[in-house]
Amino acid sequence: MLSKAVDLPPPASLPGAAASPRGNPAVRLDGVVKRFGAVTALEETWLQVEQGEFLTLLGPSGCGKTTLLNLMAGFLEADAGEIFIGGDLVTATPPYEREIGIVFQNYALFPHMSVAKNVGYGLRMRGVPKREIAERVDAALALVKLTGFADRSPRQLSGGQQQRVALARALVIRPRVLLLDEPFSALDKNLRGAMQVELKEIQRRLGVTTVFVTHDQGEALSMSDRIVVMSAGRVRQLGTPDQIYRHPQDRFVAGFIGDVNLLPGRLEACAGERATVAIRDLRREVAAGALSTCAAGAAVDVFVRPDHLGIRPAGEAGTLPAQVAALVYQGTHIDLHADLDEGGRVVVRVPGQGALATYAPGTPVGLLVPQGGLVAFPPEA
Amino acid sequence: MKPAIRRRPFLPLFVTPAVLVAAAIVAAMVAILRYSLHAYVPGSLDVGGFTLENFSDLTRPIVLRALRDTVLICFETALITLFVGYPVAYALVRTRSILLKSIILIIAVTPLFLGEVVRTYAWTVVLGNTGFVNASLRQIGLIDRPIQLMFTELGVIVALVHVTLPVMVIMLAAALAHIDRDYERAAQSLGAGPVRAFLTVTLPLSMPGVVAGFTTAFAWTFSAFATPQVIGGGKIGVVSTLVYQLGLSSFNFPVAATLSLAGLVLALGTMWLVRRAARPLEALGGH
Amino acid sequence: MRRGLSTQILGISGKLLVGLILAFVVLPAFVVTLAAFNDRAILSFPPTKYSTRWFTRALTYRDFQTGLWNSLVVTAWASTIALAVGTGFAIALKRYRFRFKAGLEGVLLSPLIVPHFTIGLGLLVLATGIGAARGFPVVVLTHVIVVLPFVIRSVYISLQNIDERLELAAASLGARPGRVLGTITLPLLAPGLVSGWLFAAILSFNEFTASLFVTGQVTQTLPVAMYGYVREFADPTLAAVSVIYIAVTATLLIVANTFLGLGKVLNVEQGR
Repeated sequence: MLSKAVDLPPPASLPGAAASPRGNPAVRLDGVVKRFGAVTALEETWLQVEQGEFLTLLGPSGCGKTTLLNLMAGFLEADAGEIFIGGDLVTATPPYEREIGIVFQNYALFPHMSVAKNVGYGLRMRGVPKREIAERVDAALALVKLTGFADRSPRQLSGGQQQRVALARALVIRPRVLLLDEPFSALDKNLRGAMQVELKEIQRRLGVTTVFVTHDQGEALSMSDRIVVMSAGRVRQLGTPDQIYRHPQDRFVAGFIGDVNLLPGRLEACAGERATVAIRDLRREVAAGALSTCAAGAAVDVFVRPDHLGIRPAGEAGTLPAQVAALVYQGTHIDLHADLDEGGRVVVRVPGQGALATYAPGTPVGLLVPQGGLVAFPPEA
Repeated sequence: MKPAIRRRPFLPLFVTPAVLVAAAIVAAMVAILRYSLHAYVPGSLDVGGFTLENFSDLTRPIVLRALRDTVLICFETALITLFVGYPVAYALVRTRSILLKSIILIIAVTPLFLGEVVRTYAWTVVLGNTGFVNASLRQIGLIDRPIQLMFTELGVIVALVHVTLPVMVIMLAAALAHIDRDYERAAQSLGAGPVRAFLTVTLPLSMPGVVAGFTTAFAWTFSAFATPQVIGGGKIGVVSTLVYQLGLSSFNFPVAATLSLAGLVLALGTMWLVRRAARPLEALGGH
Repeated sequence: MRRGLSTQILGISGKLLVGLILAFVVLPAFVVTLAAFNDRAILSFPPTKYSTRWFTRALTYRDFQTGLWNSLVVTAWASTIALAVGTGFAIALKRYRFRFKAGLEGVLLSPLIVPHFTIGLGLLVLATGIGAARGFPVVVLTHVIVVLPFVIRSVYISLQNIDERLELAAASLGARPGRVLGTITLPLLAPGLVSGWLFAAILSFNEFTASLFVTGQVTQTLPVAMYGYVREFADPTLAAVSVIYIAVTATLLIVANTFLGLGKVLNVEQGR
C-alpha cells in the first residue's frame, strides 16, 4: 500500500513517527481471534497497516472494530494469532511496552493533573529529563494549537480542547501507531468537521501511522487512506474509500456505506466478469461478482444511489412506474420518496428546489435508472 | 517462552489480607458451630463430648418465646421504620435546596454513627417515668401519673425505629435517586395527580429499595442488644439478650452458641422469606 | 383552582410530616443535652438549675478515661487496617476476576446481616480456644471485621466513579501497573479513601455489641464502659458523655459532607 505521507520529513522539533526498521508494516495481524466466553468478538483476521497510513475500522456497534483496536493496544489478549507492531512481535507485550498512542472517545484526560502534566505523563513514565519534557510538551501543545493552556485543568476545557490535549498526550511519546477510538462522537457537528480536517493535517505532517475506529461512514470516507469495513466480528471489505463506495463487495458493505436504494430485479445472464439484470423491463449491466453462483432467472437485489436516480413524467419509455410519497427539503436538494408500483420505496435526490412545486405527493412518475453505477447481489437468505 | 501479559497485577497483594479476615470470620462461625455440638461443663470454659443436647434447649419455653418475640419485634420495627423513613428519603432526594438537602442528610444519618449505647441511654432519658415525655405531659396537665414507657415493648420498638431509621433512609434514598424524575412528570402530563403519579410510578419503581431497606432494618434490629436490654429492662427477652446472659453471665458457651446459631438461621430464614415474598413487588421496579 | 389547592395542602402536610420525623430523630439528642446540663442527680424535667458538673465527673471518671484511651487505640488500628484491607479488596472486586470472588465477598460483607452478638460470641470462643481472649488483638480484629463492609462499599463506590479508560490511557503512555496505581488510581481514589477511613473510624469508635463480648476489664472500650455505667448508676454523667459523643460525631459528619459529599458516598444523589 502506498503512503503519501511517509516521504514528508517530520518537522525537526516535533514528534515524528518512530522510523520503522526495513520497511516493515506498522501493524500486522496474523490470524488474530478474540472470543468472550462463547461469543466470538473477532473472527480470524489478517491485516496489515502500512507505515504512515491512515486506516479506518468502520462498522456498526458490536462489529468487532473496538475489539480489534483493544487488541492492537494490548488491552485485550488474543485467543489465537500473532500481532506485530513495527516488525516486533507484541502479542504478549503489555500495553505499557507497546509504544502506542491512544485517544479515547471521552478523551480520558487525567482529571487530577493539569494539561501540561497530562501531556507530559508518558514522558515522565519513560524517565525523560525534566527539561526535555518541558520542551516536548510545549511543542506538542503548539502542534494542537493549545499554547498557553498548559496550566489549565482538563475540567476547564471545552470538548474540542480536551480532544486536542488527548491528541497531544498520545503524540508526544512518538508512538509507533496512533489509535483513535471514535474520537469525534462526543463533539457537536460543527466542531466535528473542523477537528477532522485538523487531525488529518497533523497526521499527514507527522506521518504517524493511524488506526481510526468509527461507525460514521462519512468520517471514514473523508479521512482514510484505506477502510476496513467490519460486521459481526468479520472484515467484510478492505479498500480505498473510492473502492468501498463504488465497488462494494457484498450486500452489507453496499447497504452500510452511503445512502442506497434497493430495486427488485432478475438475473438474465451471467458471462465472465459481467452480468445482465432486468428491473421490470429495463436491462442493465453489472459486475458479476457475487451473482456468478446464481441461476438465470433468479431474483436479485439491485443497489443504486439516490443521486443516480432521475425523475421523469409518468409513462415515459425506459422508466420504472412509481408514485410520489413525500418530499423532504434538504437545502441544496430535495429528497423525493417514491413508492414503486412493484412494491418497495426509493429515495431520489433531486437537485434544487424545483421538485417541490412539480411533484405533489400522489403524483405518478417514471423513475430513470442509470446505465452504470449499479451493483447487484443475491437476495438475503 | 515470552512472558504473558499480567492481567491482574497485584492480585495477591490486594486479596490476601481480605482472605485472612474472611478466614477469621469463618473460623469464628466454625467455633460457634463446634461449641453448639459439645456439652457444657459447668464452671469451665472447656467443653465436654459431642452432643446434640444443646439443641433440645432451644425448645424451652423461655427460648421459644424469645425467638418468637424477636421476630415479631424485628418485623414491627422494620415495617414502622419503612413508613417513617420513606417520606424522609423522598424529601432528601427531591428537595432542590442544597442546604436543606444537607440538613436532612445530616439529621437523618447522624444517628447511624452514634453508638447503640448513646442512643439507648438517650431514649431512657426520653421515656423514663421522670423523663422528657412524662414530664412534658404532666406539665401541660394531660396526665397526673406517669405512663409506663420504659420496660415495655412499645418503648423498645420506638427506640429501635430510631436506631434503624438512618439505614432505611439511605437505602430508600439510593433507590429513589436512581429513578428519573421524568417518569413522574410524564405520568402527571398524562393526567395523574401527584398522589396517583407517586403511587403508580415512583412507588413501584422504588420497590427494590423498599425490600432492601426492610431486610436491612430487620437484620439490624435482630442484631440490637443494648436497646432491648436497657429499655426492655429484662422484661423483653430477645435472642441477643439471652445469648448475652448465657454467654457472659453463666459462661455457658455451648448453649449460647447454639442459640446464636438458631438466631442466625432464624434471621437469615426470615429475610429470605421476605425477599421471596417481595419478588413480585420487586419485579414492579423492573430491575 | 382546586387541584392547585389540594396540591399545596399535600405539599405542606408532606413537609410537616418530614419535619415531625426529623424532630423525632433529634429528640433524644436534644433531651439528653438538657439532661446533661441539669444540676439534679435524678433525671427529671424540666431542669431547674444548670451546671456542668456532670461533664467534670464524666471526664474524671476512671473507667471512661481508660475506655476512651482504649477506644482511640482500637479505633486507630482497626480503621487503618480495615482501610488497607478494604481498599485492596475493593480494587480486586471492581477490576479483576478471580476464583472464589463471590464467596469471599459474601463472607466479608456478612457482618451486615450476621448479628453482632453472634460475631462477638464467635470471636470470643475462638480467642478463648487459642488463649488470646480479651486481648487487644482480638478486639481490633473484631472491629476490623465489623467495619470492613462499610470501607469496601465506600471504596467500591468511589472506584465506580473512576473511568477505567484513565488507567488504560496511562498504560498506553508507558505506565507500569505500579505506576498506574500510584499516579492515577490512588490519587483519584483519595476522597473515597478518606471517607472510607472516616466512616470506619466513627463506626469503630461506636461499636458496642461485639465489643461487649470480646473486651475485658483492661481492654474495655468507651461504649462498653458506658454500658457498665448505665447499669450501675442513674445520674446524668452518661448524658454528658453522650453530648460529647453526639457533638464529635455530628462535627465529623458535617466535615465529611462539606469536603467529600456525603450524598455521593452514600449513593443517594439524584441521578438526573
